[in-house]
Amino acid sequence: MSSVEQNATAIASVSGNVPISRRVANGIRRWWPYYVMLAPGLLFFLIWHYFPIWEAKMAFEQVRIIPPNLWVGLKHFQTLFASPVFYQVLANTLIISTLKILFVFPVPIIVALLLNEVRSGKLRKFVQSAIYLPHFLSWVVIAGIFIAILSPSDGAVNQITGLFGIKPTAFMTDGNSSRWVLVFSEIWRSAGWDSLLYLAAIIGIDQSLYEAAELDGANRWQKVWHVTIPGIVPTIATLFILNMGMFLSADLNQVINFLNDVNRGQIDILDTYVYRIGLRTGEYSLATAAGLFKAVFGMILILSAHFVSKRLTGKGVW
Amino acid sequence: MAAPKGTAIRRTPLERIEYAIIVTTLLAMVVVMLQPILNLLAVSFSDPSQVAGKSGLDIWPSGFSLDVWMLLLQHPNVQRGILNSIFITATATFIGVVGTALMAWGLSRPNLPGRRIIFLLVLVTIVFEPGIIPDYFLMKRMGLLDSYWSVILYKAVNAWYLIILVRFFEEIPEELLEAAELDGANPFQIFFQVVLPLAKPALATIALFYLVFHWNEFFRAMIYLNDQTKYPLQVVLRQFVVEGDKLAIVGADNAANNIGVAQINLKALKAGMIIITILPILAIYPLILKFFTKGTMSGALKG
Repeated sequence: MSSVEQNATAIASVSGNVPISRRVANGIRRWWPYYVMLAPGLLFFLIWHYFPIWEAKMAFEQVRIIPPNLWVGLKHFQTLFASPVFYQVLANTLIISTLKILFVFPVPIIVALLLNEVRSGKLRKFVQSAIYLPHFLSWVVIAGIFIAILSPSDGAVNQITGLFGIKPTAFMTDGNSSRWVLVFSEIWRSAGWDSLLYLAAIIGIDQSLYEAAELDGANRWQKVWHVTIPGIVPTIATLFILNMGMFLSADLNQVINFLNDVNRGQIDILDTYVYRIGLRTGEYSLATAAGLFKAVFGMILILSAHFVSKRLTGKGVW
Repeated sequence: MAAPKGTAIRRTPLERIEYAIIVTTLLAMVVVMLQPILNLLAVSFSDPSQVAGKSGLDIWPSGFSLDVWMLLLQHPNVQRGILNSIFITATATFIGVVGTALMAWGLSRPNLPGRRIIFLLVLVTIVFEPGIIPDYFLMKRMGLLDSYWSVILYKAVNAWYLIILVRFFEEIPEELLEAAELDGANPFQIFFQVVLPLAKPALATIALFYLVFHWNEFFRAMIYLNDQTKYPLQVVLRQFVVEGDKLAIVGADNAANNIGVAQINLKALKAGMIIITILPILAIYPLILKFFTKGTMSGALKG
């Protein structure tokens, strides 16, 4: 049967009163090649993303060397919620996320506004090419770079503050500065690249609005304030809500490279806690319980973010 | 935005000062982003005896020597790290691109029965991540711990990249596909001979995404792999630079085989290690700028 005929049968099967078995048979005949192509990816998702959900039942079990594990209900959650360390890491996570929203989030917006003012295309391209680079470096590399520039003996930062007679600080092992090291390394990594999204939004703004503003005698700042910024507010809102959706994450890949015994009290987050008690000390069930706590609240946050964003800007998380 | 063409631009002194401030700020940002990398490059090429106390502000080598590079590139841990990283990244990127493209094509057909359910299954994985411990136990159960495959298969098909590709495939004009169908092409032929050639830029973008992701991945390698000889470069770098484990590069048995390692300045070795690890990213960076920048821009515009 040719594809066209198949099409015809498929259409007929939807409209007519063909028995359901025929309809399924027709559907399979028409669509099997697509299912074959879908299968490897789908199988991958089922195995690598759905099996772990099943494995997570460990949070409700006593892991025994000889299976089966013992069902203990909410015991591990009770242990978790009674543990001061848990509240410490939860607080750290929330503080670090808040600092990032306050101090990291606005930077790419400012960068995009500045870039937009650059008249020379060559200069703008040059700046863009340079500032996007850090986004593509791993956190291991970035941590290595920050260890170097923050070195108390010859790091760039202490060299500069030294010019003003300030005594060198060992930022990496100073509990007071460790959260700020996270903030600044995040800015260093993402300020350039994240500005791209805002720049794209700015380019999408109707040019006639600028012309109209110019006719009204608006200067540079008035144009930015009355045309550009209102034009990118939807993008800002979407990205802000997305960021809120990731509030409980605070970025494991980053933190684990900056964490040491001295700053643990300040930057130990939920994910690093789960990693430590789970894979280092072997308290699998407790770690899984903490992981599930994060997963469930993270899910609530992301879903709320999605629906709020969809409601306000028409754009969701996906 | 640039002034409309054709109109004479009259600038007051105040505007010129403003413009100078804007350009200076951006150039300062460029310096902040690039200077640390140039400094490490300079340190790695400096004469090792002059590295101690070399200012972090310096971007020019003090003296010149290839000692650090020779030593690192001849070091078994580094060599293995490079080979492991290349193998893992290449395999994972290949699997990722093929798996994602095939799946995205199926999902992009609007009438495919079950499309919504499959989409939902994928979206759930974005929203709900049970965490690293269940992932670890799955790997254990599958017998993949300490195998390259544990790292290769981690996020082998990425839900986000899949969605990007589905959106791209949905844009392919229906008439093109119908024409191919009338010519007697079966769905496989349509995919390989019509869709894939059209999707080259999108596939290149996805391939670069995967490449960067797998090259930079270290955490899963760190927890899934026990055997040091299987460590990718990022984990070797982490051991040496972040954990400060000198044994990774200048350890007792390494030092025995590599006379002189102990004498070479640790700081210079670390700098060289960092530069080696980012070289592949620098090498593909022009491609990244070409594809990512365009892809992100058009995606945002469409959105």
